[in-house]
Amino acid sequence: MTVAVGVDSGSTTTKVVVLVNGKVACTTSAVTGPDPAKTASLCIDKALSECGHTFREISCLVATGYGRERVSGATRILTEITCHARGAHAMVPAARTIIDIGGQDSKVIRLDERGFVQDFIMNDKCAAGTGRFLEVMAARLQVGLDEFGEEWGRARGSVKISSTCTVFAESEIISLISAGVKRPEVIKGLCNAIAGRVASMARRVGIEPAVVFTGGVSLNEGVRRALEDALSQKIVVPPMSQFMGAYGAALFAQDLVE
Amino acid sequence: MWPRFFRLHKSPTQGNFPEKALRFLLERGFTYKAVETYLARKSNGQKSYQEVAASGILTELRQAYRRERPVIYTTAFVPTELVYGLGAVPFLPEVWSGFAASLGVAPRAIHISESLGYSQDLCSFHRCGLGLFGMGILPNPSAVIVSSHLCDGGRRSLYYHSRVAGCPLYVLDVPYSFDREARVFLARQIEHVAQDLVRKVPGLSLDHMRRAIEASNGARRVYLDVCRVRRNVPSPWRGSEALNYVSVFLSSWGSGWLPEFYGELLRYLERTVRTCAFPVGNERHRLLWLNLRPYYRTPIFDFLEKQFSTSIAFEEYSKLYWPEIDPDNWAEGLAEKMMSNFGWGPLERRIHAVWSMVEDYSIDGVVQFNQWGCRQSNGGARPLRDFLQKRGIPFLELDGDGVDAGNSGSAQAITRLSAFLEMLDSRGVIA
Repeated sequence: MTVAVGVDSGSTTTKVVVLVNGKVACTTSAVTGPDPAKTASLCIDKALSECGHTFREISCLVATGYGRERVSGATRILTEITCHARGAHAMVPAARTIIDIGGQDSKVIRLDERGFVQDFIMNDKCAAGTGRFLEVMAARLQVGLDEFGEEWGRARGSVKISSTCTVFAESEIISLISAGVKRPEVIKGLCNAIAGRVASMARRVGIEPAVVFTGGVSLNEGVRRALEDALSQKIVVPPMSQFMGAYGAALFAQDLVE
Repeated sequence: MWPRFFRLHKSPTQGNFPEKALRFLLERGFTYKAVETYLARKSNGQKSYQEVAASGILTELRQAYRRERPVIYTTAFVPTELVYGLGAVPFLPEVWSGFAASLGVAPRAIHISESLGYSQDLCSFHRCGLGLFGMGILPNPSAVIVSSHLCDGGRRSLYYHSRVAGCPLYVLDVPYSFDREARVFLARQIEHVAQDLVRKVPGLSLDHMRRAIEASNGARRVYLDVCRVRRNVPSPWRGSEALNYVSVFLSSWGSGWLPEFYGELLRYLERTVRTCAFPVGNERHRLLWLNLRPYYRTPIFDFLEKQFSTSIAFEEYSKLYWPEIDPDNWAEGLAEKMMSNFGWGPLERRIHAVWSMVEDYSIDGVVQFNQWGCRQSNGGARPLRDFLQKRGIPFLELDGDGVDAGNSGSAQAITRLSAFLEMLDSRGVIA
C-alpha cells in the first residue's frame, strides 16, 4: 500500500490531497492563517484520519504553494506552477492552457502535449484578478460569492470597472451604486474586470485549447462565464479544481514512491 | 525662471547630520588613506582583481570629492573615454544608486527624490541618483554629458543635476541609423562637446585623449580573453558578482586601471578553470541575465547558485559590442562605439546580440530582469521571447526593482525562478 500526500500551502487556503495506491482517497482544506506550518500539519492529520491512515504511513509527501518551505515532513518541494500543470493535465489530458486564480494571485500556464510547462506568467502584484478582490467586492455588495453566477445571469448590461486597485475599485462600486446602477450589472462588471485582466495575461503566454480553469475562483460561475466571453473559448472546470495544486503535488509524491 | 525653481528645490535635506558627516569624510584625504590601508591588508580576503577595482575607484572618488580633477556626470551609455580623455573623473549617478542600494541608503534617497517632485514611475536608478544628489553626498559636477539613445529617464533626470549645480549640460544626439553619415554627424557633436568643455571648465584638456583611448583599447583586448574564458562549462565566475562588476564595465573605459583589472580577472578565471575551483558546484543550468540586478540584499542569487546549482553564465551588460577605437580619429571611434550599442536601433540588433550570447555561453534559459520604469529593455521583451522560444530557449521576465527593495518581493521572485528552473529540469528529463 502507498500513501502519497500533496500539500498546497497557499496564501489564503491550505489544501491537502491524499492518494492511496494512486487513487484519490481524501481531500481537505483550511484557512492558512498566520502559521502555515501548523495549518499544514493539522490539514494533513485531518485528511489522513478521514481516510483511516496516520502520518507514519505516509510513503511520500510533496509540498507546494507560497508556504511550501514550511511544510514539515516534505520529501520534495515544488512550485505551484509545476504542480498545477501536473494535476490539470492528469485530470484533463487535452489541457494546453491552465488559468489559475487563487486567493492572492493569478497565473496562466501553457503546457505541451506531454503536460510539461512550456511557459507561464504570474500576477501577484495587483489584487485585481484575485479571489481577494472578489471577496472585498462581495462584502461591499452584500452578496455571497456563490451567488455571482446567478447575479450574472440577471444582468441586462454591464458597467466598466476601470480601476485595477482593489481600494479604488471599491470606491468606484460605491459611486456606481449611488448612481443607481443595479447590483447584477455591477457584479457582471466586476467579473469582466477580472476576466479582462487574466485574459491579457493568457494572451501573453498564448492560448491553446483546452483551457482549464483551476483555483478557488474557478468555482465562481460569474468569473468563469466572463472568462469564456473574454477569451471566446470554452473553459473547462475539472473536478477538484480548487485542489489542483495539491493534487499535482500528490501525483509527484506518487511518482517518487514508484 | 529655471535658476529660481532649482534654488527653491536645492538639497532639501542639507543640514541632516548623517549626510553632512558623510560628506565631511568623503572630502578628507585621511578617509581614503584609511580605506586603502584596510584594503592593502592581505587578511581581508580580497581577490587581486577586486583590489585593483577598489583602488581605482577609490582614487577617482578622492580626486572627485577633493576637487583634484573636474567631475563630469554622464548617463550609462556615454563613452567614458571622452571624460577620461579630457582629464576629468566620470561619475554616473545611476551606478552610485546601485552602491547606495547595497549599502541600504537607497530608500532614504528615493523618498527625497519623491519630495523633489519626481514620480514613482521614474526608474529607481535615476530617482535614487536624484535623491543622493539632494542629500548633498555626491561630488559637485563641472559638467553633465547625456546621450539621446537608450535611456530616456537618465537624460532627463541629469538635467536636474546640471541646473542645480549650475554647470553646462550637453546632449549627444545619437542617430538611429547606422551609416557613415550618421557616424560623422555624431563625431562632430562629440568633438564640439570636448572643445567646448576645454574652453568652459578649468583643468580640462585634450592632452589625455590618446592615453585614454589606448587604455580603453588595451582593456578591450584583455576583456575579449575574459569573455573567452567565461564560455567555459562550468562557469568560472559567480554570476551574482559579475553582475556587480557591470558597474565597472559601464563607467571605467578609458581609465588607467581598467586594463590591469581585466588582466587580474583573466588570471583569476584561468586559474579557476585550471584548478576546477568552480563557484557553482555541479552546475545544472546556465542562465543569461538581461538588464541589471537587484543591488540590495536579496536571497535570489544564493537560491540560484546554492540551492539550484544554477550559474548566471553571462550578462547582457557585459557584452562588448564596439570595435577598437583609432586614437588619431577618436571622435569617430567614440561615435561608432555609441552607435554600436545593440540596444539601440532596430530591435533585431538586440535579439541577435542575445542569441549570440546564448550560443557563445551555452545558455539553457534567459532571464530578463524587468527593472521598474525601464522602457529600453522591457519594451522589447515580447519579440525577444518569441524569438528565443522558437529556438527552444525558455525566457523568463522577472519583474522587480534593482534599487527600491520596497517595490519588489523576493518570495515572488523566487517562486518565478523556481518554476522556471523546474521547467528547465523537465526539459532535461525529456532530453
